[in-house]
Amino acid sequence: MASAVQNSNPTILNVADLPTRLGPAALSKAGTDRVGTLASIFPPSAYSLDCWPTGYSSSDASDEEDVTEEPIDEQEIYDLISSISDPEHPISLGALAVVSLPDIAIKPTLPEVPESVLRTVSVLITPTITHCSLATVIGLGVRVRLEQSLPPRFRVDVRIKEGSHSTAEEVNKQLADKERVAAALENGTLMGVIAKMLETCQ
Amino acid sequence: MSALQTFMLVVDHDKQEAKQIAERVAQDVENKKTTLIEVVQSLGEYINDDDPILRGKAVSYLTAIIRELPAKFLSRQQIQVLTTFFCDRIQDGGAVAGLETLQKLDRFNKPLAEEVARAIFEHFQELQSRSQSQRFQVYQLLNELMLNYRAALHDMGEESLVGIVDLVTGEKDPRNLMLVFSILKVVMVEWDVSNHAELLFDSVYNYFPITFRPPPNDPYGITAQDLKDRLQDCISSNSLFAPYAIPSLLDKLDSTSPNVKRDALNALIACVEAYDPNTVSRYSITIWETLKFEILNAQEEFLSELSLQVLKGIAKRLSEGVTQTSDQLPLAQYLRPITKECSEQLREPQQKQAKPAQQILSSVSSASAAAFTLIIQAVVAPLLTIYQEADGIAKQRALLETLGVLFDSSIKVFGEWTSRDSEVAFENPLLEFKDQFSEIFGQALMGAIKEEVSFRISALKGFLRLSVLRDFFQDNEIGLFVQYLDEILLKEESVGRDDLKKEAITALTEISKHKPRLILDITFPAFVATLPDSTDEADSGYMNTLDVLAQISVEKDIFETLVRRLLSKLNLLLQQEQSGSVEYPRTILLTILYVMNKRKMEEDPSLEFYYDKIVVGLCRSAAATSTSAKAPNNILSDVSVLDILGRVCNLIVRALPRSKQDEIAHNVYTLFTPAEEFQPVPFAPSSTENQRRTMILSTFILAGLPADIQNLPYTTDPNMAALLADLANRSISETDPATQHAFTRHLALLANKFLPKADLPLATSLFYTLLPPNSTASNVTAGTINTLIWLAKGLILRLAPATTDLLTSLLALVSSPDENTSLMTARSFAILLRADDILSATNGANIRLLSKQRVFTTLTPLISARIREVNLSTSNNNQANNNPHIKPAHLTALSGILSTIPPPLVLPELPTLLPLLLQSLDLHTPSSYPVRTATLETLAVIIRDSGVPVLDQTGHVQSLVTRLLQTAQYTPANALPRLRVDALNCLFLLAQPPPPSPAGANAPAIARAGTLSPLLAVKNQVVRALRTVLDDPKREVRKAAVDARGAWLRGVDDAPEEED
Repeated sequence: MASAVQNSNPTILNVADLPTRLGPAALSKAGTDRVGTLASIFPPSAYSLDCWPTGYSSSDASDEEDVTEEPIDEQEIYDLISSISDPEHPISLGALAVVSLPDIAIKPTLPEVPESVLRTVSVLITPTITHCSLATVIGLGVRVRLEQSLPPRFRVDVRIKEGSHSTAEEVNKQLADKERVAAALENGTLMGVIAKMLETCQ
Repeated sequence: MSALQTFMLVVDHDKQEAKQIAERVAQDVENKKTTLIEVVQSLGEYINDDDPILRGKAVSYLTAIIRELPAKFLSRQQIQVLTTFFCDRIQDGGAVAGLETLQKLDRFNKPLAEEVARAIFEHFQELQSRSQSQRFQVYQLLNELMLNYRAALHDMGEESLVGIVDLVTGEKDPRNLMLVFSILKVVMVEWDVSNHAELLFDSVYNYFPITFRPPPNDPYGITAQDLKDRLQDCISSNSLFAPYAIPSLLDKLDSTSPNVKRDALNALIACVEAYDPNTVSRYSITIWETLKFEILNAQEEFLSELSLQVLKGIAKRLSEGVTQTSDQLPLAQYLRPITKECSEQLREPQQKQAKPAQQILSSVSSASAAAFTLIIQAVVAPLLTIYQEADGIAKQRALLETLGVLFDSSIKVFGEWTSRDSEVAFENPLLEFKDQFSEIFGQALMGAIKEEVSFRISALKGFLRLSVLRDFFQDNEIGLFVQYLDEILLKEESVGRDDLKKEAITALTEISKHKPRLILDITFPAFVATLPDSTDEADSGYMNTLDVLAQISVEKDIFETLVRRLLSKLNLLLQQEQSGSVEYPRTILLTILYVMNKRKMEEDPSLEFYYDKIVVGLCRSAAATSTSAKAPNNILSDVSVLDILGRVCNLIVRALPRSKQDEIAHNVYTLFTPAEEFQPVPFAPSSTENQRRTMILSTFILAGLPADIQNLPYTTDPNMAALLADLANRSISETDPATQHAFTRHLALLANKFLPKADLPLATSLFYTLLPPNSTASNVTAGTINTLIWLAKGLILRLAPATTDLLTSLLALVSSPDENTSLMTARSFAILLRADDILSATNGANIRLLSKQRVFTTLTPLISARIREVNLSTSNNNQANNNPHIKPAHLTALSGILSTIPPPLVLPELPTLLPLLLQSLDLHTPSSYPVRTATLETLAVIIRDSGVPVLDQTGHVQSLVTRLLQTAQYTPANALPRLRVDALNCLFLLAQPPPPSPAGANAPAIARAGTLSPLLAVKNQVVRALRTVLDDPKREVRKAAVDARGAWLRGVDDAPEEED
């Protein structure tokens, strides 16, 4: 991997502008946090009386017993992979727009069997330049991250976005080929590079 | 045998003996028993011997004798003769030492020094073939001559220069090099080197880069850095070296080793600082051309930082003496290619290389006012053009940030309004663009659509920098910015995480430090106007307003205005004649508390005013409200309002002078109200609920008084016993939890802080009156338990003599057959050591350092034994199972204590504790959630602080991992996400690489290699089990599972990580 940097001056998105999870729940929380500064010095217990040690009040338990399920969605996938670093720059794939929220899709794997829980995640990757030879490595990194982080009922499909790479077909074939992926993951040097990319996922 | 022969025999193996011989002869010479001539003549037969060792010993004999002679003994002629003699024989051992002795003598002189130097240069052509210590001696002699007879060497000119260089060429030993570098540096600085610059430069540059690594346990303590520093001093010592030094150093930047590049850049920094400005100017552009690649394509952060320092250093040197800028200046010529390159890169400000371009501009422009002016003239206008033509908001934003970087430099050069450093002679070149900036940043901040938060934040930050920049904006222009900020805070709906509002508050706070008047004149009226005048008009908007006001009121004037305005607002509310929500008045009090807490109240000039208005005034109102049936409203009878008011009073009472505190002591219970209007609570024959509630205030006021206060009511007639008993009884029978809490804390406070040591048995006996020893104690009320625990807390914190007994008695209650009593007591154990606002160190409570340890070491073995007992009896006969609550109750008590014990105390007890903690994780009842949560928190701390090896020694890794995995699984019975997240967090921490302990870091790699991680055995189990947790219905659990699984996949490996 000692080759010269291929794209030395890519465009970088501002981290604050990347998509984040700010659903209605988070918004309403922001509303109640308004007295944040005041409350930070004197936590609620300062004026809600704590005759019993707070940890033991039962209200605590009922608050959290919120049974609404939160299914895995595109944003969650995005959060998993956008923090991977690019192998060339110490910049995240999200900031480089290599992965983006609209290019992630979760679909039932077997649409004809409605009760099936199997899901397929497809992620389209946009390399920063069309001849980037590291596209395969990035694709592999995304694949490894998702396979480590998703439950077994998820199938992972990582491809290069159409028209964004000169040899997209070739790369896609490589990424889709289970044998070749498995063989690649046996390669120590390659795994070293991928481990380094994933280091920033915390 | 002559003295000489004896000397020659012993000199090799007995230094002491040899010295004594020399002393004796020296004495003889001194006493004229023999003469120096005779001594020299006695050497005759040996100094011409063929054996150099014999010759050396003979010369050493003479040296040894001379060394023993008094400093003034030798005459000038004698010195001269001896010097010549030694110089002739300089190659023989001992001669160099002899010369060193001679040159120290008072009668040694310049011509002799010259003679010695010449002898050294002539006779030591083959110096490098000699041993290190011999070479060291020669260098030392030379060094001494440099120190004592520098003029002699200097006058020799080229002869000494070339001589020294020839002499040291090829030296390799670090000890000698330290000496050589310092000798050479003198030559470089003081000699005329114009004809030999290259020769001299090469003599040191040959050693660059220094790769020396000191051997382990090096006795000489010379580090590579010492050598690097001296070498660098040499390289940068003379401007004439520049033609050789700068190209060579720049060449070194092609090296692949970051360390070599670091040394080269450091040397460049030194050269730029030391060479004269003309020389620096000659090479400035060459240096820039090379260094720009280091910055634009930075390999390592530190290399780019060092390169920036070089560039800044050049700009600084070239600015020396510049009072007016012009195109012809060397500084201008240096800056021209830089601004050109940066402007080029900044044309596309979102691309990666725009960032380094910003850094370059930032560091070069902060070098001096002249550099700043030239850069601003070159860069700002094109940036503004690009801004006008920019096609997207992202691009505009990047440009705003670039301008912000320049504003930062401007602040560094010209200072802020509050800076103390002197004014700069230059006019700020940004002034030319003032109106444009004001318009662009104002437009970006207020004209952009509300969703463009990060764009607006960039604009806000830029505007803020300009507002604090000294002598830039007029007050009315900053006032406009303040108005914008007010508008953002008061009128705008919140967007997303409200980052813009947070920034706006920060900005107002910042401005309040520089221009408090503007905040008082503009922000205050605007904000206070939005505060409603009665509780029922109040919508939640006042929260925002008070929050902002609290945060910006850092400055003294603003603080005081705020408190006065809020107090008058509060008085309005207190007079209104209907009962509404107390939220609003409470928030007002909370705001006052918040701002007072941030200031040093002891030094506040208005402290008396606050005392009169708040402590006296409001407490009096509270007392009045509690007795009169027709109080206008319910504000001052609300417990949460009283609690906060109490805290404010506490803060003020603490800060007051002693005389005032004495006055307050009388009024702790009367609350500054005459007896006919308000009956103090203690010893009152009857009291209403409202009246008793004022104990909240009394408690906070009492807590603020010093421990040695004299005239507390009811404490001296004859002692505190009656008061304590009265409070305990009232506390036990009290039904309102808040009031009971006040009673128990009051009791604890008295027992802890105000009860004299001699009277401690009073409190202990009160405890045993409430809980008779040896009673079966089957059914104790909650009120009693609470009172007992707090009383015990007060006593235990000061480590009263009865501490152990008290703890044992309380623990006995946990074994009560009555489930309620048992569980309630168990839960209360968490109170014992928990931090409390009343019994706190700030309030001067009597908290002994060892109290925590004492509680822990007393209770842990007892609890552990009791649980073992229960376990045994359940397994032996099933009938004993009629008290199933006892085990969980003990585990609850344990977790309560553990949550308040610092980890270092816990760790030594790990082998006892870990099995208990694991049993807590096995509890499954819903009521055990808190215990399990607390246990997981304790485990997390243990894992983080002690690491896997310690856990492994206890032999519980496998069972720990299994239980954590069980707790992490989602089941309908395990519906609390928090528990699962905590368990996963523990798993995550387990797989973290151990912290570099001082012992482990120094252990040789061999000792560590070969020890496999104890986690390896369970890795597969964990990774497989976590895969199902990845499908948890809750997102936060999945996140924790991803992190934990990632950590195990990454961190737990067959072989320990290799160094490098």
